[in-house]
Amino acid sequence: MSGTVRSASAVTLSVWKALFLREAVSRISSGRAAWAWLLFEPVVHVAFILVLFTLVRMRVVPGAEAAVWLLVGLSSFFTARNIYSRGMEAINANEALFAYRQVIPVDAVLVRAALEAFLGVIVAMLLLVGAGLFGFQVVPHDPLGALAGFAGLCLCGLGLGLILSVASELVPELGKVARLLFTPLYFLSGVMFPVSLVPPQYREILFYNPFAHGLELARGAFFPLYHAAPEASFGYLYGFALTTIFLGLSLQVRYAVRLRAQ
Amino acid sequence: MILVEDVHKRYQTDHGPGKWVLQGVSFTIPPKVNVGLVGRNGAGKSTLLRLIGGVDTPTRGRIERNCRVSWPMGYGGGTHGTLTGRQNAKFVCRIHGHEDDLADRIAYVQDFAQLGDAFDEPVRTYSSGMKSRLQFALSLAFDFDVYISDEVTAAGDAAFKKKAADAFKKLTDRAGLIMVSHGESTLRQFCSAGIWLHEGRAYWFDDIGDALKNYKESISA
Repeated sequence: MSGTVRSASAVTLSVWKALFLREAVSRISSGRAAWAWLLFEPVVHVAFILVLFTLVRMRVVPGAEAAVWLLVGLSSFFTARNIYSRGMEAINANEALFAYRQVIPVDAVLVRAALEAFLGVIVAMLLLVGAGLFGFQVVPHDPLGALAGFAGLCLCGLGLGLILSVASELVPELGKVARLLFTPLYFLSGVMFPVSLVPPQYREILFYNPFAHGLELARGAFFPLYHAAPEASFGYLYGFALTTIFLGLSLQVRYAVRLRAQ
Repeated sequence: MILVEDVHKRYQTDHGPGKWVLQGVSFTIPPKVNVGLVGRNGAGKSTLLRLIGGVDTPTRGRIERNCRVSWPMGYGGGTHGTLTGRQNAKFVCRIHGHEDDLADRIAYVQDFAQLGDAFDEPVRTYSSGMKSRLQFALSLAFDFDVYISDEVTAAGDAAFKKKAADAFKKLTDRAGLIMVSHGESTLRQFCSAGIWLHEGRAYWFDDIGDALKNYKESISA
């Protein structure tokens, strides 16, 4: 008996759902208390940097509460970082599942990005609510602006993830180089210092980095009195995101056969 | 019906394109016909199964599947090591669009595979026999028109082999089967027609016995 043949979109949707659940299970339950680390990492970073701030006697960020300012920056940056770094490994990690012709490599990257964004939102919410309970002012001054900054960061992460996943599968050395660049990116995005303190001539260079844009925009939307660097623009952030996503998807289509055959 | 038309396949190696594995393979498999694939090691049997299963694409030529074809059962992949047997089964159910009757299918897989408590342990802890039990049970849980089997019946202990053979026999009554096996008796038991792969080409025989005869002559020569 021949049943109905499912449409392509129905197949894709069911694959995304199945992959999402599979990724969520291994992300949250693999290793000892993996879920706790999700919360622990940003909290430890905030605490560590607050200690550093105290040591260098920069107790406050102009126009913002330092702890919340850090929390917003760190959780947004970590979400974007998780999207591109884990997205990069998505194809490799799901290789065994390409035995089913319904699953194609790009599915793995897209689903992983969606999962990381989802987890990032939950973690950020939990941390902000937690900070709120300690008496910090955690309600953003411009919620939509903050969300737009956060979403832009996630999309940039997705674009990079799509590109890097192809690159690191076809040329593994590129993956290693990319991983080397991840740490400098943390410092160059202004996660732990206000970029507006950087002299303008260097700031110009710093703002080639889309993550610097996204973080400044999200923070600027959070605190009404915070002086975000004037270079930060949604145009650059979303332009970068669209360009990299387009390039990444093109690469995924171009090398679909080779990615699956690896 | 499965249509294979002038299919060429070669793999990319570290030193550029490899040698042709398949060179101009063409045949048509009518519905509900059980076909055995024979040929020397490296003749391209598994490659052809992967192409028919849609896991890989031919370098040249085309393959048409006008029916529901299973994934190539039995070869290494298909289960994820860090997931448990149950989670793997759920995944496979979901991608095949069986969200509604998920519980029934899982129950079937669990019952057939007889893995006991190991069903809830990660697949990477399984022995190869346990793994192929799971894979075999998974493939039986869905109604395909054509099943692709790469030496799956070879797995498991005597009791399971018997059970698997019975299930296989029952399945071949209602669906088609394309199988690779080095066991002559297995092929004769399940298949009526045969394809002999030799030097990149495929030869179709309506009787599996003829395919086996040609194959044996080619290796003794």
